[in-house]
Amino acid sequence: MRRILQLCLTAVCVVAFYASYAQDRTITGRITSADDGSPLPGVNVVVKGTTNGTVTDVNGKYTITAPAGSTLIFSFIGLKTQEIAIGERSALDVPMGQDAQQLSEVLVTAQGIEKTKNELAYSAQKVDGSAVSQTRDNNFVNALSGKLAGVQITRPNSMGGSTNVVIRGNKSLTGNNQALFVVDGVPIDNSNTNTTDQASGRGGYDYGNAAADINPDDIESINVLKGAAASALYGSRASNGVVIITTKKGRGTKGLGVTFNGGVNVGTVDKSTFIKYQNKYGQGYGNYYEDPSGFFLSRDVDGDGVRDLVTPTSEDASWGAPFDPTKQVYLWDAFDPASPYYKKSHPFVAAKNDPSKMFQHSVQQSYSVMLDGSSEKGYYKLGYSTNRETGIMPNSTLKKDFVNFGSSYKLTDKLTATASVNFSNIRGNGRYGTGYNDTNLMTNFRQWWATTTDIKDQEAAYFRNHKNITWNWADPDETKPIYWDNPYFTRWENYEDDNRLRYFGYTSLNYKLTSWIDVTGRISLDTYSEFQEERQALGSVTTSQYSRFNRRFKEYNYDLMVNFNKELNENFTIKGIVGANVRRTHIESINASTNGGLVVDRYYAIENTKNPIIAPTEIESDLGVDGIYANASIGYKNMLYLDLTGRRDQASSLPKANNTYYYPSTSLSFVFSELMKDATWLNNGKFRINYAEVGNTAPAQSLKDVYDKPTAFGTVTLFSAQSTKNNPNLKPERTKSFETGFEMSFIEDRVGFDVTYYKQNTVDQIVPAAVSNASGYDKKFINAGEVRNQGFEVTLYAVPVQIGAFSWKVNVNWTRNRNMVLSLAPGINALQLNTFQNGVNIDAAVGSPYGVIRGTDYVYNDKGQRMIDDSDPENNANYGHYLKSAASNVIVGNVNPDWIGGVQNTFKYKSLSLSFLIDTKHGGSVYSLDMAYGLSGGLYPETAGLNQMGNPLRNSLAQGGGWIYDGVLSDGTKNNIVVDVSAQNGYGAFGTDYNPTRAFVYDASFVKLREVVFSYSLPQSIVARMAPFKGIDVSLVGRNLWIIHKNLPYADPEDGLGSGNATNGFQSGAYPNVRNMGFNVRFKF
Amino acid sequence: MKKIIISVLALGFLFSCGDLDELNDNPKKAADAPAGTLFANAQKNLADILTSANVNRGIWRLLAQQWAETTYNDESVYDIATRNIPQNVWGILYRDVLKDLETSRTNVLAVDPLFIDETVRQNQIQLIEIMEVYAWTVVVNIYGPIPYSSPTYSGGQALDIENPSPKYEKAEDIYKDLLTRLDAAMTKLDADKDNFGDYDLLYKGDYDSWIKFGNSLKLKMGMILADVPAFNSKAIVEAAAPHVFTSNDDNALIRYKDTPPNTNPVWVDLIQSGRHDFVAANTIVDVVVALEDPRTPVWFTEVDTSSEEGVEKFVYWGGIYGNKNSYSKFSHPGDAIIDPTQAGVFMDYTEVEFYLAEAVERGYNVGGDAETHYNNAITSSMNYWGVDQADIDTYLDRPDVAYATADGNYKEKIGTQKWIAMYNRGYEAWTEWRRLDYPVLVAPDLALTDIPLRFPYPVNEQTLNTANYNTALSLLPGGVDKVSTRIFWDVPQ
Repeated sequence: MRRILQLCLTAVCVVAFYASYAQDRTITGRITSADDGSPLPGVNVVVKGTTNGTVTDVNGKYTITAPAGSTLIFSFIGLKTQEIAIGERSALDVPMGQDAQQLSEVLVTAQGIEKTKNELAYSAQKVDGSAVSQTRDNNFVNALSGKLAGVQITRPNSMGGSTNVVIRGNKSLTGNNQALFVVDGVPIDNSNTNTTDQASGRGGYDYGNAAADINPDDIESINVLKGAAASALYGSRASNGVVIITTKKGRGTKGLGVTFNGGVNVGTVDKSTFIKYQNKYGQGYGNYYEDPSGFFLSRDVDGDGVRDLVTPTSEDASWGAPFDPTKQVYLWDAFDPASPYYKKSHPFVAAKNDPSKMFQHSVQQSYSVMLDGSSEKGYYKLGYSTNRETGIMPNSTLKKDFVNFGSSYKLTDKLTATASVNFSNIRGNGRYGTGYNDTNLMTNFRQWWATTTDIKDQEAAYFRNHKNITWNWADPDETKPIYWDNPYFTRWENYEDDNRLRYFGYTSLNYKLTSWIDVTGRISLDTYSEFQEERQALGSVTTSQYSRFNRRFKEYNYDLMVNFNKELNENFTIKGIVGANVRRTHIESINASTNGGLVVDRYYAIENTKNPIIAPTEIESDLGVDGIYANASIGYKNMLYLDLTGRRDQASSLPKANNTYYYPSTSLSFVFSELMKDATWLNNGKFRINYAEVGNTAPAQSLKDVYDKPTAFGTVTLFSAQSTKNNPNLKPERTKSFETGFEMSFIEDRVGFDVTYYKQNTVDQIVPAAVSNASGYDKKFINAGEVRNQGFEVTLYAVPVQIGAFSWKVNVNWTRNRNMVLSLAPGINALQLNTFQNGVNIDAAVGSPYGVIRGTDYVYNDKGQRMIDDSDPENNANYGHYLKSAASNVIVGNVNPDWIGGVQNTFKYKSLSLSFLIDTKHGGSVYSLDMAYGLSGGLYPETAGLNQMGNPLRNSLAQGGGWIYDGVLSDGTKNNIVVDVSAQNGYGAFGTDYNPTRAFVYDASFVKLREVVFSYSLPQSIVARMAPFKGIDVSLVGRNLWIIHKNLPYADPEDGLGSGNATNGFQSGAYPNVRNMGFNVRFKF
Repeated sequence: MKKIIISVLALGFLFSCGDLDELNDNPKKAADAPAGTLFANAQKNLADILTSANVNRGIWRLLAQQWAETTYNDESVYDIATRNIPQNVWGILYRDVLKDLETSRTNVLAVDPLFIDETVRQNQIQLIEIMEVYAWTVVVNIYGPIPYSSPTYSGGQALDIENPSPKYEKAEDIYKDLLTRLDAAMTKLDADKDNFGDYDLLYKGDYDSWIKFGNSLKLKMGMILADVPAFNSKAIVEAAAPHVFTSNDDNALIRYKDTPPNTNPVWVDLIQSGRHDFVAANTIVDVVVALEDPRTPVWFTEVDTSSEEGVEKFVYWGGIYGNKNSYSKFSHPGDAIIDPTQAGVFMDYTEVEFYLAEAVERGYNVGGDAETHYNNAITSSMNYWGVDQADIDTYLDRPDVAYATADGNYKEKIGTQKWIAMYNRGYEAWTEWRRLDYPVLVAPDLALTDIPLRFPYPVNEQTLNTANYNTALSLLPGGVDKVSTRIFWDVPQ
């Protein structure tokens, strides 16, 4: 972009060349960087009011002839333009500083239209490519977190997991709420292929979101269009906001330029986000087993004819006997013939190595090389990047390779051809299992664990013979796993692998019809094929299985655009676009799996099925949208801009009668500072206001009814009516958006702010609404419901200190979104967005924010105190425990944060730079199944501490044990009932069984030190002597280093189930936060 | 140059000329399905839910106190809300059984007369009718008043998506309509023409079997209504009795396959899952052990009690119903029960003979005496489970089994033996226990409620069908939607 601009500027200089006066004098000088004093080559030096200009050489030197008394203009993209009167001088050295806020900065807006900041009548925010490439996050989207107002980015902690990107709140009840990604004008699919089971926390893998296929090293800049007015030109999908990515276009180097980048990054588990175990009691659910104490099985293990104490190996909880080193107990390894402890006992103590010892350091390496060059005819670039990551779990790797090629060539003066091809190859192996599932060891470790199990012993047991030697035998006499496999067996045998090969790119031709009209034709394609295979080895706790999933995605876009840009007269300018877009999306997939188990061990193919296979699931779906659109922006004296847009779409997924819809947008920008040119304190001031509507179509294939096909019963074919009723009368849904904003900058751009208020209502939503099952269906597609999002976005920047070469810059952004479900279908006041385990739902409920957690609550008295059940002491199993609300759909949490924000501080001294980013989410709730089950099972220290009387709470009542719950009795007095929580009754006492849903809803706020970057660019003066290098940058990078504050115990409140609606707000088997530290070196030559 | 532009333009619009509508078709799903396939699917789904031992839906064996749970005893203490059991069962019955039967009917009626014999069409409708009658009685017997619809019932709103919030009907009215439908269907069924043939998983379309099944169902409905004065139970039963099942060969059952997903659901939950969630309950084990019931070794495994007794000794020992139980300590469901091919039973000869014994006791003229029917019932059950005739004779001769000498009134005698015989038919065992009140079952100490006499309505009905749900409450005795609310035929004696 800079390069193009430079070319344009130079062109302007050339075209408007005038002859100069005779009394010219020659001025020479040297331009240096104000930061580090290094020489600046390529700076434009122009005599004001003329086109007489030159550029500085490699040493930053220039020579120019200019009339006496004239003024020189020094300009360079990214630096502050300076105008200096030459007076009588013949030498003029100028240090040039960075431009804090470039008002002349050009932003790429919808359909590639470039606009200056002043022209923008809506909110847009730009992030430099280096902000994502420098931090080396495996998914560049994560690196945007905390840097943009109005954009909520939620990243799961699983390796390569999908990141949720929601701009200005969730608008669609059940449809897609993810931002649209557009790379150089090509819309990029950002769906994930995660199953509904995965999204509802019931297991499966998070295969990541497809926008992670974009090479961070190829990103020049990222522009985010937040509101519908900004994005309406993109059509139906734009109402969720658009992330526009502009890739590198070559640095403008003549000949061959080479950039090499290399980085290594090491991650460590943040202990504050993993479970701590109680170390006082052993394996078991209570004391109802075989030996007289009830805590142990009673078997003669060593064959001496005397019964021995055996831990109840089938039990995945820790409400067992108190540890006692004088007691000899046989553990799981006594029944592993390969173990040194075969038929041998251990002293009965807590395991020396708890599961946290299983985590390893993650290591990520990335290397890239980019070749580029340009001439007056065009540019080219060719980049290759590779990324290798091993995760914190054993046997996990993620490899990414990217090749990017782009080139533009002027065929004639008027005709330019441009093409771009991007290739990515993503290979995952051993992604972490997610949710409540035996492939997710976090479920095992956080919810269902025996404190007697030494993880290192499990490791040794697995590696001795690669068999499933689990701590969780069904019985000492039946040595097969009952609920959990050996954790190392899980990682090394029950692993997935996957591959996504993707191509996206475009070819386009641009023809300059006249000086102010050009025509562009473009064909772009985004296509990928995906392959996922999952395994359950023979001997696993679940039926052995191999399954494979193949999916192909294709999207073509055909665009024809006529751009115009004309100065009508000295006051009025008009620019705009008229265009047509044809979009065709095709998805097909097939999912096949073995049936009833595998036959040959470790042989993973469908043909290794024990029983005849069940017919694979095939999906084939197309979507077509034809759109025509027009946009005009009329400018008056660089002060007033009026922007008008209209678009008409015709979509294949709506019934013929309703499939065409129109929507408009209008925006006004008023640069009031133009009227206040005398106010030197004010650099810029702008007021903007806009209104837009965007129509949206239905999901494909939701009009006509079809049949489900269960597996034939023997030779009898079966069909079944579908559980969702389609609707042939759907009409388009619509988002109505209003936005107004105010921005100012002062004191030579040292301070500035931008405040935006927005309100968006999405109406006539197309939803599969739940209906009474007595209608024969679960759901029916209808048009109903309205969701409103409104909020404020604030960005602030300041340069509090700028002394010589030292500067301190602060960027703040803050977002507050308020979200409300205004209506649903007639007679329906709640829609289940996601149904989780343990009676927890995340709903859209009328009158509540989108995404409320519902379940049971405490019962409160008039004073709002939690009430204890004190009825019927003799016959009431709940006596002394909390009363639970009768209703199981009480709103007990809201997943939406009150506000999110980020503060970035950057300190610079010459070419040294240190920046750190603090990323904050305030409010929002999360339900933790990890706590609900783990507390039930007696894993956490809270279940094994002292009680209110100062005695071990697990003692019997006679021994002073028991627990008094914090609450009041029916007469309003403080609860004084001591409940027996000894082994006999302890299971569930602190967990889900005796406590309402509310008890496990936590505040998900966090303050994180998200990013620390220390970078150093070798001064040009040094680099210049180091041929062939033209630049060397070194940086040290830290990501997710420190959770400064959180309220969720033992876990990272940000971790969720990946991208999608209502996938955050519920944790089951949460992965710990990983602190990343690394370094990065960049060589340019 | 213009050539290039024109060709680009032409290319672009070439692609846009396709018909948008066609893009929306679903090439990988059938838009039409033969009626028989839906009929068969409904039969299978109904058999599955009645046979299931899944803790999320098929908790029948726990309600009948025939099994106990091991570590997670929630359902044994009647926590049926956490796993949303009333919702799951309701959904399966309406969506997976009744809706498929209804769709099957629609598709039968839609077949072009050119391609179907009208009598065959009518025969298919009659089979759907009989299956529907059976399915509706299950829904009523679990919930009471429910949304209902039928070709002969005016105002019923169920199974009509145009009316997604259907109103509830009185259970008595539904039973009345079902009896009418059942009679009509049996009358209209034509012996000389085909019906669904192999699509019928019960009888492969055999006319005589369907007439026997229809009459056995009618007998059952008549007996269920025995204590409801508004119905002439005697007449219903007497009309049906001459035409009911006469041997185990007549049983209405689905023979499951040995490969997933068409195995017996018990195999899925107990064996395929690899879990150890259930043991036999002391409630039934104590009874069959005391009676030296020869079915015991078929139904239960023996367990080594040496850890308790000190010497190796194998016995049948049930876990304490309602408690947490150690899996290794107690008897488990036996090999026959966990056999993947074990049949799923809708109605059997045993059940029919027990009804006839009871009918005699109630003074209905159904032929034979109570003792003979009682003995036939026990004998057929033992035959079904492969017990030797000699053992059967010994059992029937026991004074605590023999009809003349066994304890209690006819309800207790029949109730106890029927509850034993319905060991692998938990839904039936629970329903007959509710009706006969024998054997005496007591709620366990840790129980949250009394033993459920019905399921409360699903939570979804409260939120999605609120107005009708509230009206439905007035149809329930006492106006409360609880597990202790009785179904209309469950008249306190």
